[in-house]
Amino acid sequence: MRILIALACLALASCASMDPPKPWEKGNLARPDMQFDYDRLDTRTQQHIYTSKEAATGGYGVGGGGCGCN
Amino acid sequence: MAWVEAAVGVTRVERPHEKRGGALLLSALALPGVVPTDANAQSAPDKGIFEAQYLSYRDWQPGRNRMKVDAPAFYALMPIGDTWVVEGGMVYDSMSGASPLYFNVLSGASVGDYRTAGDIKVTKYVGNQAVSVGAFVSSEQDFLSRGASLNVQYFSEDRNRTWLLGVAGTNDRINATNGVAPNSTRNSVEFVVGITQALSPSDIVQSNLTYYTGHGYYSDPYKPLDTRPSDRQTWAWLTRYNHYFADADATLKLGYRLLLDSFGSTSNAVDVAWAQGLPWYGIAVTPALRFYTQTAANFYKNPPFPSGYVDGDNYSADTRLASFGAITAGVTVAAPLWDGWNVSLRADYYRQDPDWQIFGTGSPGIQIFAARWFQVNLTKNF
Repeated sequence: MRILIALACLALASCASMDPPKPWEKGNLARPDMQFDYDRLDTRTQQHIYTSKEAATGGYGVGGGGCGCN
Repeated sequence: MAWVEAAVGVTRVERPHEKRGGALLLSALALPGVVPTDANAQSAPDKGIFEAQYLSYRDWQPGRNRMKVDAPAFYALMPIGDTWVVEGGMVYDSMSGASPLYFNVLSGASVGDYRTAGDIKVTKYVGNQAVSVGAFVSSEQDFLSRGASLNVQYFSEDRNRTWLLGVAGTNDRINATNGVAPNSTRNSVEFVVGITQALSPSDIVQSNLTYYTGHGYYSDPYKPLDTRPSDRQTWAWLTRYNHYFADADATLKLGYRLLLDSFGSTSNAVDVAWAQGLPWYGIAVTPALRFYTQTAANFYKNPPFPSGYVDGDNYSADTRLASFGAITAGVTVAAPLWDGWNVSLRADYYRQDPDWQIFGTGSPGIQIFAARWFQVNLTKNF
């Protein structure tokens, strides 16, 4: 757990040192592959498969309904 | 199924393979006053989406097939006016095969079931905020889940940061066909707080913290002696990071999730994907790897069945609660078709192995479990 906290702090420190984009610099960020859940149907399907085969479930937001598979 | 997007400064636009030279074009357009509305998540998207998907899934253990699932699914998003968006989806799972009674001992009879699930979400964009209200239902022969959600996104003035607050409540009803625990219920509430930050013109990071608390029937009625706590809480911390390499026309996608479960299990999941645009016909290829590891639940007992069982105490011989590691290797190939249609093909191979547990030792006496799934998606932007 300490390692994780240290990594989180390191990540935050890295973020603080970066330079957020200006409005005219967001072309790359607009790419679909730069978004986190561009294909929502695909994201749901993958998470549903893992939910049915592993103990852990969730973490990707709230509001999707359960299933009797776990 | 959890899915909330908290993008920063961007939303759905054409995929790389849908518009060649997309990055350059978007960069050129991304001047003040001429930013395309669909490249800005702080306003409602102005394009609709229809997506159809077909999933073919099967899993097995050494020498034995287990479950097979075929699942068509649909998703649609429709802007209404300038500030409203309605989206929804549905899926139909058809399942057949054999599932374990305990450990790796399969039930003798073939199991057949189906699941129908649907959801709808309405989002209103107001100034620097977006408010979403959703409802969802999932129905099986022996299981009914219903719920509702409320999500609020707050966008910073420079549109480089999005805060997310969300809550969802779910009511589950369980009526096992074998008559165990008839009319059982389970109620739960989930909360999420998240931040998405554009770090640079080529870097974006997202971090979400989710808390789940529930009360009710968590046991598996089809597994003999399975008795689980009636209260469950989990904490999940998910962090994802994307970096675009302009020279290579590729995006590196990293993800990490830590999940702490009051059942006693702790899991770690790491995802890596490389989305590579190819110079032919707008084709994109995305190989991906996922490594997952979990420790066992407190009440999971090792074989032989029913060793460790004490009447009145919690007990489970469900190997999904055991200690193991798992690896998924997959690849997605996407290509544009015509008239706004796009196709993607996906194939994944998944394998669980107790020897792949890296935090401590894996549970003894359980077999390797493997699965593969193929998926085809057709998407229309209109």
